[in-house]
Amino acid sequence: MTPADNPSADDRLKALFALDEPAPRDPVFNTEVMAKVMRQRLREEVAMLSGVSVIGAGALWLVWPTLQPGLLALSQGLAPAAGALAVAGCATLIAGLWRPASAHVG
Amino acid sequence: MLQISPVNVDEALVAAAQGGSAEAFSRLVERHQQPLRAFLRRTCGDWAQADDLAQETFLAAWSRIGRLKTGASVRAWLCGIGYHKHLTALRSATRERARGEVYEADRDEVVDAAPEDKIVLELAMASLPPDQRACVALCLAGDFSHAEAAEALDMPLGTVKSHVTRGRARLLQALE
Repeated sequence: MTPADNPSADDRLKALFALDEPAPRDPVFNTEVMAKVMRQRLREEVAMLSGVSVIGAGALWLVWPTLQPGLLALSQGLAPAAGALAVAGCATLIAGLWRPASAHVG
Repeated sequence: MLQISPVNVDEALVAAAQGGSAEAFSRLVERHQQPLRAFLRRTCGDWAQADDLAQETFLAAWSRIGRLKTGASVRAWLCGIGYHKHLTALRSATRERARGEVYEADRDEVVDAAPEDKIVLELAMASLPPDQRACVALCLAGDFSHAEAAEALDMPLGTVKSHVTRGRARLLQALE
């Protein structure tokens, strides 16, 4: 028998199945799903960043013997300039911290 | 005036979700939670388990959204993922036993409240083989075409038609 032969039986089935139908909108369900999706996304991002960090650290460890002499020579050459830059940076920072306080008082 | 069909809306949302938009994916969840949950409720028979599976399905869909082809039916794709998750759950004998006990415990409450025909239908659905039950849930209970159900369940069209015909006959026989 095809559905066309007995439409009322199919209507009856449809009506009974309709009792299982969830609401067309269910904000609670949506919120739960999206919270899980966001947690999964966070886990994936953390895993990716951890992987990148481990690879970076490994690469640095591998090239360090080659890099170390060059960096030492460079740092000795740049030491006076680095010192001067550090002093200038501190002075700028201190001046920046004092300015709003004096403006507030004034 | 420009008419935007639901399929076009889905395509736009899928494209945005494939670009990483969680908001677009949230709209997809909103649009498709009803047919997916209804299908899983009818396939599992246990509403709580069905909702858990629906959530797992959406999580899997978020991870695999990049693989969804342009123009493919989103609801058929989701029902396909949900059906495979249901089959995996069925295969897990221990979990199945535990869920069966919960199901039986919950079932008494449903039996008191549901009309007699509904109980008969639930029992008849539970007696169908999983494949047949899924075909009936999509084509008779849902408004899936045979072709769409075949796509969702990854079955040949002829098999789906035969499952629906046999399933329908068994359900009607039980309701007589």
